[in-house]
Amino acid sequence: MSTYKEEIIDHYKNPRNFGEMKDPDLSLTEANTSCGDMVKIFLKMKDGRIAKMKWQGVGCAISTAAASMLSEVAVGMNRDEMEEFGDKGVVKMLGGEINPGRLKCATLAYVGLLKLLK
Amino acid sequence: MDVNKIRADFPILRRKIKGNDLVYLDSGATSQKPEIVIETMNKFYRENNANIYRGVYELSAESTRMVDEARATVAAFIGAEFTEVVFVRNASEAINLVAYTWGEENIKKGDAIVVTRLEHHSNFLPWQVLCRKKGAELRVIEVTKEGLLMEEGEVKEFEKDGLKVKVGGIKDLIDDRIKLLAVTGVSNVLGTIVNVKDLAGKIKQKSPGAKVLVDGAQMVPHMKVDIKKLGADFLAFSGHKMLGPTGIGVLWGKKELLEKMKPFMYGGEMINEVTLTGASWAELPSKFEAGTPDIAGIIGLGAAVDYLKDVGMDDIREHEKELTGYALTKLAELEKAGLITVYGVRDPERRGGAIPFNVEGVHPHDAAQVLDSFGIAVRSGQHCAAPLVTSFGVPAMVRATLYLYNTKEEIGYLTEKIKEIPKVFA
Repeated sequence: MSTYKEEIIDHYKNPRNFGEMKDPDLSLTEANTSCGDMVKIFLKMKDGRIAKMKWQGVGCAISTAAASMLSEVAVGMNRDEMEEFGDKGVVKMLGGEINPGRLKCATLAYVGLLKLLK
Repeated sequence: MDVNKIRADFPILRRKIKGNDLVYLDSGATSQKPEIVIETMNKFYRENNANIYRGVYELSAESTRMVDEARATVAAFIGAEFTEVVFVRNASEAINLVAYTWGEENIKKGDAIVVTRLEHHSNFLPWQVLCRKKGAELRVIEVTKEGLLMEEGEVKEFEKDGLKVKVGGIKDLIDDRIKLLAVTGVSNVLGTIVNVKDLAGKIKQKSPGAKVLVDGAQMVPHMKVDIKKLGADFLAFSGHKMLGPTGIGVLWGKKELLEKMKPFMYGGEMINEVTLTGASWAELPSKFEAGTPDIAGIIGLGAAVDYLKDVGMDDIREHEKELTGYALTKLAELEKAGLITVYGVRDPERRGGAIPFNVEGVHPHDAAQVLDSFGIAVRSGQHCAAPLVTSFGVPAMVRATLYLYNTKEEIGYLTEKIKEIPKVFA
């Protein structure tokens, strides 16, 4: 079965940094209204860079895995680097193959992170 | 009806998807096209193409004749008069046309428009926007758990940004203030067939002057529709959901209503006389067809209607009813095993071939993605009917929709492959 890469299934079943953060520096909820997916992101910041990311939410395997992977990748990034990362970075992070119909799922958490840093 | 013979007419059904035969179960979004539709449009561009009406030369005369013939074909298909058939882009545009012209003129503060929770956004938002603008009340007929229109129930009222919305059963919402009933003929999500005539009759008892608009996007492609029996004043439908090309749709309206309505758009071919200071409008249907229309699309739709007529709309309905019954039985087995939830009324007499379901513990997008890996095309999401889908307490649904070219084997294959979905995420 090649529909979902093992790494996506792994992050979906064992999401990293999942949960609430007490007194975050930044937090926001991002929703994909077309399918009801929603992710809440909490950030601890240090010198303009992400020091720690936690997140909560419900969603499909792609949006969940993307949030989980991002919560690891984002640590250490500042605003410019996050912008530089781009949708392309998200697709690459997820293994390089996301069909256009799923791009909104894939970038849900990323869009939230960008909004938070701006 | 020989489904194998029909399948042979659709070139795309010979395609492989990821090494599997294509199992196309998304005709509710758009139907596939038979060879004759594709060829008719090709031939038109190769041999006849010219702009219509104005030209005195041979090609223009041919093109004009072909468009006229297609209009006559579509009119006859629904039992309408030639001049009552207005070509637009799709059902959405047809409904917007009525909202922007008839609605603007006739809906006043204190009036009410009735819709149902079944509506596709295209037959919901134009009325939500119009009611807010005019200070009219939007009334939404509630849907039961089975997916049928509620006769009587609890009334809920909402108010936001100047719009008052009342939700309840049919009896709860009827009074003498109703100016319009805008209702789908068949739900694009649950497949529910609405008894338009009955509902319109109930409303007209209290509001005799109320007009009735039917969203026929999921009805006209799948069953015989005769506007003389439908109980409607307007009917909207899309060509691409009935074997025709994308970009062409139809608004049918009663002549006396269309004649009184102002144009929707202004421009070429919709005028009678133009001076620097004014203009008068062309006769029907040209008044509503500003600019060069989708000529090839109209001709393609004509070919699609000819094809549907040849197969026979009653036979198509029977075939889909049988398939729907079969699918509901097969899916009920999976439901009993706790694998899936199926939505909508279980009696195939009361529904069309739209079958929504969810796989336990799997997001609809993921379920659809796994089915795609087996060559099965289904839709997942809110199906442009968010108020309906979310009322079932789920963010989204998977939806399989059936048409004349689908088979029991395909439904069997779908059921087998649904069982594979949870394994991917186990």
